[in-house]
Amino acid sequence: MKKIRLLALLLAYSANSYAQVTYERLLGSAREPQNWLTYSGRYSGWRYSTLNQINAGNASHLVMQWAFQVGDLGQFETTPLVADGVLYGTGQNGRAFALDARTGRAIWRYQRNLPEKLQPCCGMVNRGFAILGDRLFMTTLDAHVIALDAKTGNLLWDVTSADYHQAYTFTVAPLAVKNEVIVGISGGEYGIRGFIDAYDAATGRRLWRFETIPGPGEPGHETWAGQSWKTGGVPAWITGSYDAELNLVYWPTGNPSPSNYGGERGGDNLYSNSMLALDADTGKLKWYFQFTPHDLYDYDATQIPILVDADWEGHPRKLLIQANRNGFFYVLDRTDGTFLFAKPFGNVTWAKGVGQDGKPIVNTNLQPNPDGTRVCPGALGLTNWFAPSYNPETGLLYVATSTECDIFTSSPQPYRAGHDFLGSVYVPDPVERPTGALKAIDTLNGTVKWSFPYFSNPNGGALSTSGGVVFAGDSDGNFIGVDAKTGHDLWHVQLGAAIYSTSITFELDGKQYVVIPAGSALFAFALP
Amino acid sequence: MQKATLTFRGFAAWFTATVIAGLCMAASLATAAEKPTSTSSRGKAAAVKEGASLFRANCSPCHGLSARGGGRGPDLTSGRWTHGSTDAAIFRTITAGVPGTEMPANGFEDSEVWAIIAYLRSLAPPHRTMVSGDPANGKKIFFGSAGCSNCHMIRGSGGLLSPDLSRVAAARSVAYLIDSIRQPDRDLSAGMLDPNNHYGLPLVYDTVTVVTARGERITGIARNEDTFSVQLLTTDQNLRLFLKREVKEVIHEHKSLMPPYSEEGLSTSQLHDLIAYLETLRGEESGSKEGR
Repeated sequence: MKKIRLLALLLAYSANSYAQVTYERLLGSAREPQNWLTYSGRYSGWRYSTLNQINAGNASHLVMQWAFQVGDLGQFETTPLVADGVLYGTGQNGRAFALDARTGRAIWRYQRNLPEKLQPCCGMVNRGFAILGDRLFMTTLDAHVIALDAKTGNLLWDVTSADYHQAYTFTVAPLAVKNEVIVGISGGEYGIRGFIDAYDAATGRRLWRFETIPGPGEPGHETWAGQSWKTGGVPAWITGSYDAELNLVYWPTGNPSPSNYGGERGGDNLYSNSMLALDADTGKLKWYFQFTPHDLYDYDATQIPILVDADWEGHPRKLLIQANRNGFFYVLDRTDGTFLFAKPFGNVTWAKGVGQDGKPIVNTNLQPNPDGTRVCPGALGLTNWFAPSYNPETGLLYVATSTECDIFTSSPQPYRAGHDFLGSVYVPDPVERPTGALKAIDTLNGTVKWSFPYFSNPNGGALSTSGGVVFAGDSDGNFIGVDAKTGHDLWHVQLGAAIYSTSITFELDGKQYVVIPAGSALFAFALP
Repeated sequence: MQKATLTFRGFAAWFTATVIAGLCMAASLATAAEKPTSTSSRGKAAAVKEGASLFRANCSPCHGLSARGGGRGPDLTSGRWTHGSTDAAIFRTITAGVPGTEMPANGFEDSEVWAIIAYLRSLAPPHRTMVSGDPANGKKIFFGSAGCSNCHMIRGSGGLLSPDLSRVAAARSVAYLIDSIRQPDRDLSAGMLDPNNHYGLPLVYDTVTVVTARGERITGIARNEDTFSVQLLTTDQNLRLFLKREVKEVIHEHKSLMPPYSEEGLSTSQLHDLIAYLETLRGEESGSKEGR
């Protein structure tokens, strides 16, 4: 009893007093579930919380506590962070804000002055901050990385990563590791040459860069025909995960450019659609695993890497699991990238399966052509960038999925700097209306344990908790809580606009909150 | 590709363009005004090819893959140009957009615009297909024997269930209209996007039947639907709003509620009269002449 009281006192202390978010706190973020300190909640990428005040038995009583209007249009893709009673988020069009997490009242707002001619492929979006010390780090649509003071929103440093005139752009939430701020570039629709950068959190000085397309003389360069490597794309637009013991950052990469025409980029096109394991201190490549070599369907591997330690065939093993956009669920050994297992988690036609060597067995008669070829999954994938959630209590990975199949057409396209470079267009199969589902995948065998149907294909991910609830948002504006074990609907609320992000949870004054972005507002829910 | 959240880059272009429309509109108009009409853009194979590629990537989400119209944009192969048919006018429409419509301003380079125009010219007949038929009789058929007005509305008269046809001639080719009348199931949704959402779901005029808890079957068109509810406009033109957990079943059929009009129901000469009437429906301008 005494112990509990002491714990409560400690929680109350940390909830109400501002403290620096040190690297040690980030490493131990699992020990402070009252906060949400990184994009995925913890370095392992789980998007899971041990909070259990809201549970399968009472989730139906959830009510709104507050709403915060960002005041701008466009998809709201942020994952907010919560540290010691303050919520930090980024908005559309270069906006950012800090809120009193109890009331939703703004403490400060930040507005990036963006240039006019920007070329983000898919909206003026941003996915959130990283926090370290008393600083917040954010990427910008004009390809800068900036640091803001957490108390005031004042700009502390601002560095240029790449030239936005060439359609380099950032949308990613950074990953803070040790003294580094790690980011990955966007622009795979415009023939960029992708990279992952680390910046010094104190000064903004660049510490290392990993080019996602090997240059002349580097291993893997031979996987690009002719000069295609120069405009080969391979962005890295989703936040990676980190294993401190191995000191490896796991960062997934996106499609080769042009995305749907491969005629002039013969070869596997390394390191497109791959999982990269980079030394956190140097950015040197430790290993890679390519999910979709020589991709013709836009199957970015930009899904959160989930790091799990589990018994594999009777032996404890450090695993990396990913439900990939290409339709297969993968299990790798994250010490060396050894391929262990893959299984489709929905309708897949582009490949017949994945061989023992981890390479897809491609259906060569389904390659895009000028007349159009129907392929499943469609270009948006069986799943996509929106975060999955891994729950160690159920052993399930919760993944939002789509049934969309697309008609891909393909034709050569000359590269022009700063212009889109797709080599194609695709349209949804007009006969079958795409729908979706939240699926629970058994991480040890890839079996889909349950499936909660969505009327439309989703753009939002999942959060799971010790309360046995999975929270997810759909494209029709519903924020939904389902039973983590069975997938049964526990509660839902209509928020009036499509959900393009994933919820987080935190605790304040002994009350558990769940926060979800929808439309251009943040909504906070708790028990009455 | 990052377009996780959008099926089509075109929408992103629309969004970006909308954001900066205020700034670029004036500039584009000025540019177009200074341009000579580019007759040189016609018939050049290379330009047509480039234009086709640009069109597919940027315009097809609204205007359809083959430019024959989609859920949001009109048919561009019909030979009718609502906002001006000269090269200069089309240039202006592409670069500046059309205020008050969903057509955005676009940030193409001039050479790209000319390529798109060359491509469109290669598709479109120089003049609108002429229809021989009696529009006055067609109107009688529409509002009388064929029963079209039971479901379709024209300038405030007619039914609620089906698409409003007040501007149909500006948006659809004659061939498309004939197809829609003779075989309404054939092209329910091909290449179309639902104008109500932003992720490129096909626009589907599916038939939806709700079976209530008491076994009553209610059929109509879903004005909206999600996992939990469906908002039906029923065949008797009432709104019926259902929670899915309170009904037995929601049945979707990929067929049109519109009956096919075969020769027996609508003779060729009646069809021509009806098409001739529909051809007069171009929105405001024709509406004033046509007003009922």
